[in-house]
Amino acid sequence: MVLELGKGALVIDEMKNVSIKIGEVVEEEEEWAPMGPTPMPGIATLRDWDFFLLRRYKPFYAPYCDMCCLCTMGKCDLTENKRGACGLDLAAQTGRIVTIACSIGVSAHTGHARHMLHDIEHVTGKKLDEIPVDMGPEIAEVAPLTQLITGIKPKTLADLDRALRYVEEQIVQVVDSIHTGQEGSYLDYESKAFHLGMLDSLAKEIADIAQICAFGFPKGEDNQPLIEVGMGVLDRSKAIVLVIGHHAPPAINIADYIDANGLEDEVDLGGICCTANDMSRYYQKAKIVSALGRQLKVIRAGLADVIVIDEQCIRADILYHTKKLGIPVICTNEKAMHALPDMTAKDPKEIIKYLLDGNPGCVILDPLKVGEVAVEVARARRKQRGDDIGPRLTEEEFMNYAKACTQCGNCTIACPQGIRIGQAMKAAKEGDKSKLEERWDICIACGRCEQVCPKGIPIIDMLNYAAWDRIVNEKGKIRRGRGPVRDSEIRQVGAPIVLGTIPGVIAPIGCGNYPNGTEEVYLIVKEFASRNYIVTLTGCMAFDAAIYKDEDGLTVYEKFHDRFDAGGVINIGSCVSNAHIHGAAIKIARIFAKRNIRANYEEIADYILNRVGACGVAWGAMSQKAASIATGFNRLGIPAVVGPHGSKYRRAFLGRPYNDEDWMVYDVRSGEKVRIEPAPQDLLVAAETIEEAIPLMAKLCFRPNDTAQGRAIKLTHYIDLSLKYLNRLPDDWHLFVRTEADLPLAKKEELLKELEDKHGWKIDWEKKKIVEGPIRGYHAGFNPTNVERLFKEGFMTL
Amino acid sequence: MPKAFEQPFDAANIPGPKMATLLEKGKPVANMIKKAKRPLLIVGPDITDGMFERIKKFVEKDNITVVATGSAIKRFIEAGLEDKVYYAVLHELTNFLLDPDWSGFDGKGNYDLVLMIGSIYYHGSQMLAAIKNFAPHIRALTIDRYYHPNAAMSFGNLWKKEEEYLKLLDEIVAEL
Repeated sequence: MVLELGKGALVIDEMKNVSIKIGEVVEEEEEWAPMGPTPMPGIATLRDWDFFLLRRYKPFYAPYCDMCCLCTMGKCDLTENKRGACGLDLAAQTGRIVTIACSIGVSAHTGHARHMLHDIEHVTGKKLDEIPVDMGPEIAEVAPLTQLITGIKPKTLADLDRALRYVEEQIVQVVDSIHTGQEGSYLDYESKAFHLGMLDSLAKEIADIAQICAFGFPKGEDNQPLIEVGMGVLDRSKAIVLVIGHHAPPAINIADYIDANGLEDEVDLGGICCTANDMSRYYQKAKIVSALGRQLKVIRAGLADVIVIDEQCIRADILYHTKKLGIPVICTNEKAMHALPDMTAKDPKEIIKYLLDGNPGCVILDPLKVGEVAVEVARARRKQRGDDIGPRLTEEEFMNYAKACTQCGNCTIACPQGIRIGQAMKAAKEGDKSKLEERWDICIACGRCEQVCPKGIPIIDMLNYAAWDRIVNEKGKIRRGRGPVRDSEIRQVGAPIVLGTIPGVIAPIGCGNYPNGTEEVYLIVKEFASRNYIVTLTGCMAFDAAIYKDEDGLTVYEKFHDRFDAGGVINIGSCVSNAHIHGAAIKIARIFAKRNIRANYEEIADYILNRVGACGVAWGAMSQKAASIATGFNRLGIPAVVGPHGSKYRRAFLGRPYNDEDWMVYDVRSGEKVRIEPAPQDLLVAAETIEEAIPLMAKLCFRPNDTAQGRAIKLTHYIDLSLKYLNRLPDDWHLFVRTEADLPLAKKEELLKELEDKHGWKIDWEKKKIVEGPIRGYHAGFNPTNVERLFKEGFMTL
Repeated sequence: MPKAFEQPFDAANIPGPKMATLLEKGKPVANMIKKAKRPLLIVGPDITDGMFERIKKFVEKDNITVVATGSAIKRFIEAGLEDKVYYAVLHELTNFLLDPDWSGFDGKGNYDLVLMIGSIYYHGSQMLAAIKNFAPHIRALTIDRYYHPNAAMSFGNLWKKEEEYLKLLDEIVAEL
């Protein structure tokens, strides 16, 4: 109930024995900017924007399954877009599955954020409203997504809690729509998926800002220290604690325990996945052992004395493997307890004894107890083993298994990559281990092959054996995750990005299900950074880029600076940190263009789509979180390229450049509708090979608002990269030419000739001018919007 | 249901009740190409030298449009065939194929028969699923080394039997 009182006095006389309970005191929101049109949007609020996107970037459906098995009227055969018993056709069912995937992804980030707020209160002993949202002196726009979506500019973590409650309520509403007999249109499912993607970005921002402010993580400072990364960085002369997952508070407690007890020289703390990234933002001596794609390789290599898991991306069969190796596992999160006993209430000494007695593991849900238990178990186990470590198999065992292989091929058809394991086994039998070693990095260590091998060959151990030298020598360097992009950096680069003279922001994000191993990640980063793109990395791709070195022995993090500026290679942080990439795009609209970002999602997304040349790349996207992350980027007007496994997400957003009506925009300057070039052509597209992906990323950095100088720079890279990786000019480069000034200067005559000969354009050769041919001309004042409301009513500027 | 089918190369890739009919001869493929009004051969990067030798013959025969996807185009360029082969991003190309009004590479209209060879298996499978379910104007065949359940018709799993497989390609080429 809300009781609103106007001017005057409220007098309550002669009331006795009346208690007044106040649940929550809501302070008046500071008028930091005029409230925009869509504070805390519901499912339908931004539907018009979604439907615009869906008209231009039509959902492309590639079903993974032609059936629906979700209710008892089924199974329903939906092949050839038939309708099932409930009336839903295959397109809508696929949109529904996409919505389900996004709801899982956003729930993971939201659950993580909620857990983070709980743990922060518990670990710090402070209430949320006692912890300020202070992002340092160079960040005034502290929470761009929260400000944009909810209208709240958070002052304390309690404000983030309010925003998170909004996210939680919206998720429930969307998941409701997935039930049988609700939504019937694929377009509306995609709109709901967009909504979840947007909520996902908000939840990530909340989680990351909360941990930055509560635990003192870096606040966007550049020149971050280098952290060791790779399977060879763990020091086996020390006790080794290995953490896996995404939720850092237990790992932070481990670091605190090591620090408080002066055990740095005795205990090594390493991690896999985002917990590794986040704990290194707190504890610089932490080591990052690997990304997700190496998880089973690390576990099976037997590197750890104890393993501590929290949430997300943990092997579901971790105990199956650790039991064989005798490594105790501590589960620290109620989302992943693996049927182990909950010992949270026990005394740490008792838990330590229990784990050292040979039990497979336990649950400890209090992060403040994890440090002592994990470290002391690791120290005790260290005393029981030797200093060094070798592969799990002996030479004799390795050869015997190689000889046992019959090349039946079961492993290959079970392998997500279709790796020819049998060929490599045959070579190994003949004394050549190199083929197994080559396949070690392509293998994502899913373990499916071992389950179908009729000879019971431990294939991952075989791969680890063959690649052992590589494993122990894999020692890279990564910048510590720096978190947000500073407002001061945006002031420097806002104009060059919008005008196009910085050719783009490339954002490698997400998981390690690469089609051809980790080195392609390094290639992406090196290629774009050396061309003065800004490369911002988060999650597993940030690690995988760090384990390769150039001819001078430098990783990309040592070779390039980590400022948000041309040629920068920036480890932003963990998966939740990639909200700061959205944040940077939003802040360009706020700081460079003076747009009001308060509760003004549609306008800012429209701004970004037309003006900010950013492109995500999730080369090994695997999870449902990656689905919701990409969908969140897409709703905000940022395209993404995924690897070939990405088409298994079932839905892409692909444009049809030949359809004039799809590419009409309003030009506020001229008051007319203008047909623009397909920039960007797609919002979500899978590339088949890295040679295809790299020029494609450059193409997706074109924006209609590029200046001629900026367009010429972007075109230079698009053409160069296509020539470099595909040995040919792209077929569609001419679509992006509006005027001769758009042409790269060094190739101007050659390209004018190509335009005349191949595309039939009219060229005035005396003046070296284009007379006829382009989709549209170039006007410096071109001011595009896709939103009719903004065209009629104008933009909200401050 | 198909008359005969195999286990998909990616073992769990069983899409539903409609799976590709198994092709065990090359000649019927050649006949379908000849009967088609607008046949298209999509060549992906997962091809051996022996396969590429046969694919070049498809190009030389000149009765089917050939498009290279992924990095496959580089092989055609090295072979001096760039002018006879188109290039496309497979995902984008499939999106165009789903549009009955797409005018094709030459402006003469969409294609009625699509053959696929050498695509990255799992990605190609997804593209075939899109065509199967949302492009009633197209029949899709695969003449790859793998059984592709999402095609209308597919060769079987011959990835360990290259000679046998190449003979099938030879049969098609001989009949074109």
